[in-house]
Amino acid sequence: MSIFGKFAALGARYDRLKQSGADPFSVRFDDILSSVEGVVRGKKTLLFGTNNYLGLTFDQVAMEQSADAIRHHGTGTTGSRIANGSYKVHAELERELADFYRRKHCMVFSTGYQANLGMISTLVGKDDHLFLDADSHASIYDGSRLGHAPVVRFRHNNPDDLAKRLRRLADQPGDRLIVVEGIYSMLGDTAPLKEFVDVKREYGAYLMVDEAHSMGVLGRDGRGLAEREGVEDDVDFVVGTFSKSLASVGGFCVSSLEGFEILRLASRPYMFTASLPPSIMSSTISALKTLRREPERRTKLAANSRRFYNGLRAAGFDVGPECTPIVAVIIDNPDVAVAFWKRLLDEGMYLNLALPPATPNSSAFLRSSVSAAHSDEHIDFAINLMTRIGREFGLLPAETNVRPFPVSAERLGATAATARVLPTAVGAGAGMA
Amino acid sequence: MSEEKNELLAEISEVLETVVNRRVELRTDMNIVNDLGLDSIAVMNFCMALEDKFDISIPLHDMASVVTVDDLAKTIQALRSNA
Repeated sequence: MSIFGKFAALGARYDRLKQSGADPFSVRFDDILSSVEGVVRGKKTLLFGTNNYLGLTFDQVAMEQSADAIRHHGTGTTGSRIANGSYKVHAELERELADFYRRKHCMVFSTGYQANLGMISTLVGKDDHLFLDADSHASIYDGSRLGHAPVVRFRHNNPDDLAKRLRRLADQPGDRLIVVEGIYSMLGDTAPLKEFVDVKREYGAYLMVDEAHSMGVLGRDGRGLAEREGVEDDVDFVVGTFSKSLASVGGFCVSSLEGFEILRLASRPYMFTASLPPSIMSSTISALKTLRREPERRTKLAANSRRFYNGLRAAGFDVGPECTPIVAVIIDNPDVAVAFWKRLLDEGMYLNLALPPATPNSSAFLRSSVSAAHSDEHIDFAINLMTRIGREFGLLPAETNVRPFPVSAERLGATAATARVLPTAVGAGAGMA
Repeated sequence: MSEEKNELLAEISEVLETVVNRRVELRTDMNIVNDLGLDSIAVMNFCMALEDKFDISIPLHDMASVVTVDDLAKTIQALRSNA
């Protein structure tokens, strides 16, 4: 048996998936034409699975500043900041982010994944306790495994469940860190942050919010869920990424807590990685300025999200519990989801296929992310295509049998039940877009 | 096996059934991952359900050293007596 023998079961599952004619894990784009269009196997394809929320990957100013940074400062830093030193632009990017979040401190990491790894593994040690939402992103779980703090999971988006678990450890010494996400990346639901803040205060814990999917998306100024909920002062650490709204790659953490800067000498995923290249940081600074200067992108993104979410829901699909730019169609049978995903790609629409065990409840999701760069025509094309295939697959009633809109309360209840403890269809609005 | 332990095993199977949604016949020498067919997420959900059943805290790294049903029973007994 080779060293790869331990992956036999995983390999067998992957083979089975490939035999069905679809391989969602190796989609290749021959070309990318814009923030929302690419070419797959020679066919122009609409992109609905990019997390490119503000549509800034082809922003003219960002591209020019990025190219300019390469010409003046080279293609890479070729090492870590503690070994090779920092460039001016590292400090500038950290200043811009701290200013945007109105915080005193900012540390930039080479990826969003590393931001979570670096912060979570370092902030809490073996005598502390770490509390994670059960549906946390892999980077949060991996950060918890890299560190030494005992890890306690609480039920997804359930502040009472968190309180119960904090109470059980109330007489233990050490600090407590609670980690939640602004928007959860699979179903697009948001955390009940005000209630989490109440629990955090009651138990004297620290609170970290990962705003990866909510930066540039939620809040009047785009700072995310904490801004929208008016609880920024109670969020001790905000982590986020440049690879979504800011259209590049990298991650960050901002905080106003005294003593934060020592983490630069304690956080191993920060210390022992090559720092971001100047071109990436330049385009990121440009994108952040655009995010701040052009709130209309956020308005358009919200309108696009509503149009897509309401359109799919009205067609009869089981969608996630809340309308955010992440719009997930829940399909009970993973094999059907794979076939559906493949048909969409064949017909010119790309989205993400999420399969168990990465999904709650063993169901599969056709997971879209809406962009401000989508036009109404793009969204209508996507709704119509998904509806046609949904009928063909028998997931939706045939056209002649469609019930009057809006869908019944019973159906909404079913959606909420799939999503467990989440509130029902918040902000979904009524009827079709 | 003591009556107390039998009772504990019965309680553990009860919890497990709510996690895997099927009837389970537990033996102390069973391997939790291989014999019960639990993936990593199912193990974590099982852990969370056990915490609530016994009103204890089982940090994930404690769960990592649990291999058999007997290990689990001992871990729960130890955590309960510390509570």
